[in-house]
Amino acid sequence: MLLTTLDVRADEFEAATGWAAKPEGMCKGDACVPVPGAVNAKGTIDVSSVAERLGMALVADEAAGAWALGPESGGQALTTAVVPEIELPDVDGNPFKLSAMHGRKVLLVAWASW
Amino acid sequence: MWQALHEELEPLGLSVVTIALDLDPEKARPWIAAAAPTHPSLIDSDHRVDEQLGISNVPMAVWIDENGTLVRPPEGASIQPSPFAAIEITDEMSERTRTVLGEFKQMPATAEAYRAAIVDWANRGADSRYALSPTEVIERSQPRPIEHSRAAACFELGLAAERRGDHDAAIGWWKQAHALFPGNWTYKRQAWTIESTPDGADSDKAQEVQDVYGTSWSDEFVATGGANYTVFPQL
Repeated sequence: MLLTTLDVRADEFEAATGWAAKPEGMCKGDACVPVPGAVNAKGTIDVSSVAERLGMALVADEAAGAWALGPESGGQALTTAVVPEIELPDVDGNPFKLSAMHGRKVLLVAWASW
Repeated sequence: MWQALHEELEPLGLSVVTIALDLDPEKARPWIAAAAPTHPSLIDSDHRVDEQLGISNVPMAVWIDENGTLVRPPEGASIQPSPFAAIEITDEMSERTRTVLGEFKQMPATAEAYRAAIVDWANRGADSRYALSPTEVIERSQPRPIEHSRAAACFELGLAAERRGDHDAAIGWWKQAHALFPGNWTYKRQAWTIESTPDGADSDKAQEVQDVYGTSWSDEFVATGGANYTVFPQL
C-alpha cells in the first residue's frame, strides 16, 4: 500500500491491505489480531502501530515523500483461507470483482507476457 | 490453453479467471486477443496478488470454492508439459544450452497430474481429495518472513517511481526487492523484461540484463535449479 501519511482512513486501509478494524482487533477473513493503538481517536488507522504488530514492513521513499507498506509477515503467506476481495480491471480497463464468481468454483491463474 | 480448460469445465460449475502480472497491460493484449477468452481475463499491473495470495512466479494458481474459500494455496500451475524439458540434449549444443536444458529436465513433471486434479475437483467438489481444508491451505502456503514484506514494499515504491518517470529510482527499489525475496520471480522477471525488451516489441523472456542488474534469467534459473524454480504442486 502506497502512503503519503501514516494516519489513513479505515476503509482505505481495508481496501488496500484486507485488514479491517473491528472491536476484537485488526481482522482479515476469519483471523483477528488485537492491536493496541490501532485506531486513532478520530477513527483513522495508526499505520505505525498496525505495521509493527502485524509484521508489515513500512519502507520510506524520502525523495518521493512516500511510504510503502508491505503485507503482514512472520507466518505463512496466507493467514486465512477466506479469499480477499480482489478487484482488477480487464485489458480495456473495465473493473471486475472476483466476488462476482460466488457460487462457482474458480481456478485463478496468474500469468504474464514476460 | 486456459480457455480450452474453461470450456471443458464450465458445464461442471468451474470458471477459469486469468490475471496477467504485466506493468504494461498492452504487453498482455496480444496474448489475450489470441486466446479470445470467454472467462474473466484481468490485469494486475501492481502484482497485488503477490501480497494478497502469495503468488511468486507464473504460471501459478489457487483454487477457490463456491463459498469464496481457498481449497489450494498458490502453486505452479502448468497443465502442459514444458516443451523445453522434451528437447534432447546433444553434443552439438553449447555448454550453456546443455546446462539450461538439463535444469528444465530437473523440473518435476507435474503438468498432467495437476490438470487431472483440476478435473477431479470440478467433478467432485469438496469430495475431491485434492481440495484441502482451510488449515491445510494456510500451512501449505509459503513462509513469509519480514524480508518478503519489505520486498513487496520496495517493489511497490519501484512501481511508483517508474510511473512518475524516474526509471533509475525504480531500478534501485527493484534491486532491493530482488535481494530481499530472491524466490519471487515476478519481481525479477517484471523488472528484467523492461530492460531487455526493445521498444514496441513483445516482452523478451530471455532477459539478459547484465548491464543493469548484473544477471540474466538463465543465470538465475541455473543457479536456482529447475527443481526449485517454482512451488511445484504436492498432489
